[in-house]
Amino acid sequence: MAGQFSGEPMLDMYIFETTQNIEQLEMCILDSEKSNCYSQTSINEIFRIMHTIKGSSAMMLFNNISVLAHSIEDLFYYLREQKPENIDYTLLSDHILSGVDFIKVELQKIVDGEKADGNPSEIIEAIKAFLSQIKLKNPYNGSEAKEKQELAEQPRYYITPNKSDININTNAFKAVLFFEAGCEMENIRAFTVIHNIREFSDEVYFYPEDIIDNDESVNVIREQGFKVYFKTQKNYKELDAFFNQTVFLRELELVRLEDDTELKGFLTAKTVKAEENPVVVPRVNSYSAETAEKEMTTGAGQSIISVSITKLDKLMDLVGEMVISEAMVTQNPDLNGLQLDNFMKAAGQLHKVTSDIQDMVMSIRMVPLAMTFQKMHRVVRDMCKKLDKEISLELIGEETEVDKNIIEHISDPLMHLVRNSIDHGIGSAADREAAGKPPAGKITLEAKNSGSDVVILVKDDGKGLNKQKILEKAAQNGLLYKPANEMSDSEIYNLIFLPGFSTKEKVTEFSGRGVGMDVVVRNIESVGGSVSVDSEEGKGSVIALKIPLTLAIIDGMNIQVGSSRYTIPTKAIKESFRPNANDLIKDPDGNEMIMVRGRCYPILRLHQLYKVKTGITRFIDGILIMVEHENKTLCVFADELLGQQVVVKSLPKYIKAKRKVKGLTGCTLLGDGSISLILDIGGLVNI
Amino acid sequence: MKKVLIVDDASFMRLSLKTMLESNGFEVAGEAENGYEAIKLYTKLKPDVVTMDITMPELDGIQALKSILELDQKAKIVILSAMGQEARVKEAIISGAKTFIVKPFKEEHLIQTLNKIANM
Repeated sequence: MAGQFSGEPMLDMYIFETTQNIEQLEMCILDSEKSNCYSQTSINEIFRIMHTIKGSSAMMLFNNISVLAHSIEDLFYYLREQKPENIDYTLLSDHILSGVDFIKVELQKIVDGEKADGNPSEIIEAIKAFLSQIKLKNPYNGSEAKEKQELAEQPRYYITPNKSDININTNAFKAVLFFEAGCEMENIRAFTVIHNIREFSDEVYFYPEDIIDNDESVNVIREQGFKVYFKTQKNYKELDAFFNQTVFLRELELVRLEDDTELKGFLTAKTVKAEENPVVVPRVNSYSAETAEKEMTTGAGQSIISVSITKLDKLMDLVGEMVISEAMVTQNPDLNGLQLDNFMKAAGQLHKVTSDIQDMVMSIRMVPLAMTFQKMHRVVRDMCKKLDKEISLELIGEETEVDKNIIEHISDPLMHLVRNSIDHGIGSAADREAAGKPPAGKITLEAKNSGSDVVILVKDDGKGLNKQKILEKAAQNGLLYKPANEMSDSEIYNLIFLPGFSTKEKVTEFSGRGVGMDVVVRNIESVGGSVSVDSEEGKGSVIALKIPLTLAIIDGMNIQVGSSRYTIPTKAIKESFRPNANDLIKDPDGNEMIMVRGRCYPILRLHQLYKVKTGITRFIDGILIMVEHENKTLCVFADELLGQQVVVKSLPKYIKAKRKVKGLTGCTLLGDGSISLILDIGGLVNI
Repeated sequence: MKKVLIVDDASFMRLSLKTMLESNGFEVAGEAENGYEAIKLYTKLKPDVVTMDITMPELDGIQALKSILELDQKAKIVILSAMGQEARVKEAIISGAKTFIVKPFKEEHLIQTLNKIANM
């Protein structure tokens, strides 16, 4: 069943767009709630979104979503048109958000290829009850009365004022029209016909007459047809052609009335009324212009198209291949020793273009964290309400961009961390006041660039981590790997990331389900990131997620050891140098070190680590590359540097899954077609 | 082949329309997602028929319809409306829309309508 629809572009589009709309809607609601009022602009926006969702869902036959969207649309239609007062905005937000949640759940079912079979009737009932409550509180507010009046004024007869001009050559006709079943809004279709007849007839009468303001007229038209009497100079043939242009016309009876009897009979009952109703050409509702103007100010110009992520991935792969092919051509061994001025110039140009394309493709995949961050507003809101805490959420650097694939992996961990902070970190208002803090807690989400990584900080000003409790818990669960008194603060804090660690005894609705911080760590590590924690008891804690900007293409330095090639990510390299024999040191355990500017760094011999045969084993014959990862520094010993190149970092499953080979993250093709292994500096410094 | 301009702010709706139209011998000359784009594209593409959504950001369907008809009295515009929008459809008809279709619609209804309007 799963994936049943996945190939269908229509469904993909539906899911994509509805998800986007829902997110936008949620943001709009939360913003409005914060300012404790729904501005006309947001009401319009919510109305429009619900309208779109209703339409799309109905087309896809997801009727439960469509019906629900319809009820919310109705509510906002009322809000927009009547501008009622005394509304409980919190309650309003609750109702819409429960609707939003329902739609989200159904969407997820659709994504998973399941049947969207949720029953929204309870939510709809609640929304309807809420709407009638508002209506009760705001009885006949002026504009509604006005609307009624307008309705009453609506024209039923189109009779031009200059009746006297009626030509003697006119003939009277009677037409009965039946529309096709299922064409909907038959009354408006009838209206369309009348509107068109008016172009050539001065006298038009019709039944049912109240086609616009009486919904029942639809049923009359469906059962008995729509009867029109009119006078015109046109002949039967022309009229027949005219009526047959009517869309969805199923059946037409058109007869020329030889005398006026039937017409008069029809009229006698109506004439008086017709006289009373002077002809009014319907005024164009002033609403549309007004709304359009308002919406103009809200809708930011959308010059954006959506592309499926698989296409982007494919493009990325191709660009990677292109970069390699370019190197294969320009660094081709056949070219060695040739004097190729023009070729080199052209090659230089090609290189510039390929690297521009590469940058471009990378930037396409970059998405700001704003969306992910914004989602946390909802999490905070819901939890604060349930736990009766007051917490404000501050977002910093939400414009920071990361790769789309990575975003998907950090959304859940981030939510988990925020929940943890609210549930465990920030105490009740009373506790906080006792500790001399403002009663309202504060959580800060901050994102910033740091080299080729993005750092996301989740800060709270809560209780902080209790070292003693952590140690007790770790001991209970047998997680202590060394005596407690030998552990540094950070080592103690990091215990919370171990699988099976959870200090909260009581399982709450939001956190503490046993799926602890280790899940966060696993998620972040799966995209090549890392998690660390810092805390001060009584002041709060900070959890830092460090994630790479992108997974797909990195800059690398190629090195040679024996006949093997390795690639070191350029971002990790601090410097490379040929060591001076005097600077080499051996510690008592036999570990080799090198002294650089008064500091000692361990040396790693790659040929020993990977058991590669090489003639160069003396440090002074080879080269040392100083690499750094999270403040740990190491010097890698290699035979020689081969030069810098953009590499495509694909992760073969057998390397990634088994992790048998330490210190490797993947491999790449070099310009000459040989394979190079990419070193995982994070892994090497911890060996 | 009759040229159609699709105007709808929902890309899902545009895709639905495009798929249905193209599999029934229409050429989708362009797609606009708001009224302004619709007017611009109409003057550029001169389509045989326009399918016009009513509720759209920036400039709604009825305003766009009026502007297009000012530029070209013969423009054939079919309104796409949802249930419950009777008043606005009426407004559109008065403003010069040829006819309308009610969402959700069936493919055959769409095609029948557009064939009729395009060949008027």
